[in-house]
Amino acid sequence: MRRRPFVMGAIGAAVAAIVLGVAGMTAPASAAAPSAADQQCLACHGMAGLEMPLAGGGTLPLHIQGDAFAQSVHSAIGCTGCHADINPTSHPAAVKPIASKSEFSIAMVQVCRNCHTGQFEQWDKSVHAALAREGNAAAPLCTTCHSPHAVMKGVAEAMDTIPCKTCHADIFTAYAASVHGVMRSSGVTAAPLCFGCHGAHDVSVPSAGAGRRDVCLGCHTEAPASHRTWLPNAELHFDVVSCPVCHTPQAQRVVDLVLYNSATQKETARPVGIPEFESLTGSSASARPGLDPTTLMTLLKTLNSQGVEGKTSIRGRLEVRTGVEDHELVAASKAISNCNTCHQEGAAAFQSVVVSVAGPSGMPIRYGASKDVLSSAISVQSIGGFYAIGGTRITFLDVLFVLALLGGIGGPIAHLTARWFFKRYLNHTPQEQRKG
Amino acid sequence: MQRIYIHPLPVRVWHWTNAVTCVMLVLTGVQIRYVGLINVVPFRIAVAVHNWLGVVLIANFFVWFFYYLFTDRIRVYLPELNPVTFFQGIMRQSIYYGYGIFKGAPNPFHVSIYRKFNPLQAITYQVVMLLLLPIQGFTGILLWNLTRFAGVVAALGGVRVIDTVHVLIFIVFAFYIPFHAYLGTLGHTVTDHYKAMFTGYEELEEGESSDGAE
Repeated sequence: MRRRPFVMGAIGAAVAAIVLGVAGMTAPASAAAPSAADQQCLACHGMAGLEMPLAGGGTLPLHIQGDAFAQSVHSAIGCTGCHADINPTSHPAAVKPIASKSEFSIAMVQVCRNCHTGQFEQWDKSVHAALAREGNAAAPLCTTCHSPHAVMKGVAEAMDTIPCKTCHADIFTAYAASVHGVMRSSGVTAAPLCFGCHGAHDVSVPSAGAGRRDVCLGCHTEAPASHRTWLPNAELHFDVVSCPVCHTPQAQRVVDLVLYNSATQKETARPVGIPEFESLTGSSASARPGLDPTTLMTLLKTLNSQGVEGKTSIRGRLEVRTGVEDHELVAASKAISNCNTCHQEGAAAFQSVVVSVAGPSGMPIRYGASKDVLSSAISVQSIGGFYAIGGTRITFLDVLFVLALLGGIGGPIAHLTARWFFKRYLNHTPQEQRKG
Repeated sequence: MQRIYIHPLPVRVWHWTNAVTCVMLVLTGVQIRYVGLINVVPFRIAVAVHNWLGVVLIANFFVWFFYYLFTDRIRVYLPELNPVTFFQGIMRQSIYYGYGIFKGAPNPFHVSIYRKFNPLQAITYQVVMLLLLPIQGFTGILLWNLTRFAGVVAALGGVRVIDTVHVLIFIVFAFYIPFHAYLGTLGHTVTDHYKAMFTGYEELEEGESSDGAE
């Protein structure tokens, strides 16, 4: 569609304003109708296609749907409630140039903050804000999720209109088919929607630390007690096995070896200047074998060399591979409860290993590692905090066990055979010895 | 034939309880560690049985410990402090098992009430009862509830370190138990030592004498 230039649009809008103003005086007032002052703004901004050029290139749409705005919760405060910097007498001539859409959106965040202080403070600590501060153009600001001129009560809380799915479409699709999504669709409001687990504005990285477990247990308060009735070392499982590992049976699993600093009590930030890390890509999907047991041991030694504050250790967790799989939760009755799934050699859960550090926004950065780190004797100290009986047993100990069995059984058999041989062929018995 | 009462009832009860428990612990340990390869008992049941057997073993250890601590029989476990006598005894007994026994040489060790272990047995039982079993019990308790003992586990290097120690001692026991059972057949007859462990009386060969013999 051909777009109208800003100045031409403004002139046309002025004419339309007069027409609309007259019409407004004669038409009966509607409950959802914009105020007279807002109608003055909408005289121009109500025209489809109205836009202004941006200093950095591109255009900024200026069209506002009057009906939608009139019905929105913001209609009560009117246009100047948010756009207080606009002087109607000099507008639009005195409009300041805007560099880019993102600059405008960031500026408008501060406007939202004036009224929504609590939500702003929550957002400011969120992973979304951290990504925005990193300069990530896709990081959501207030207006990304909440269409400011059509804000409706409950829109962000309904499955078909929740804004999260705009960016996280694949995850939302997985969620919608999950036990949570199906229940929510059928009207069970106790079943969580996105914000139920992730927070509405204080969106955190749920995969970091014990975040995911705590989120799940926030609703499933009975889960620890019910797991204790059948699961040995249940608390340990809660600590090191992410809930979706068992509750999304079809998911691929990955052992996440998290570098953890004892001084900061947090995940270690990406180490700089350490060759073992410099040579790796940040993708677990890399075709490279990744960190081997020796390299991992060397890496930890380097991180814990003299002069470094705090001790870096590894905290292992069993996770599902992707965020999409994290959301494919099934009913508890269909969850994995067979111990053999993980506690045996070659278990699928231990075929994929990553070493992760905290990224600047809190999102983990994962580096591929060889699965041998889980079964190597060299790793006893490196990954002392992660061990699954049977599943990640140390191969060297298996060899020792076989040798011990051979020695323990074979030794007596050999000794017995030698005694029999001497007695049979050399006629050496204690009785004869004494007689002699 | 003379006989000597060297295994009082508490010792016999402790010994057979210990023997059965240790064998069962090794078997359930093998099932737990090699699930998938061996599937005699479901993993969860093997873990539960292993844990309870561990409790029995630890309780039984204290039966042994307090019995010997508060009776004069503790002398059988007192170490030989003279290094020359100690190594001579070890060598003499090793030579007997490794050479003399085949030629029909007599056992250089003669049992008595307060000296019922030959030098090899003495050092072995001291290591097993005062070092390996306590460590195995301790690591077993940690592995039983890793969350409850998380601080101790972390201070000792983590669950993998604890488990490795536990498995190493399990391997030693897997070697030791069949050897121990075999050495029990090397009495005057194949069943002498076994009978003694039930009746308490060890029979002495003719010409063999000892303090306390009847």
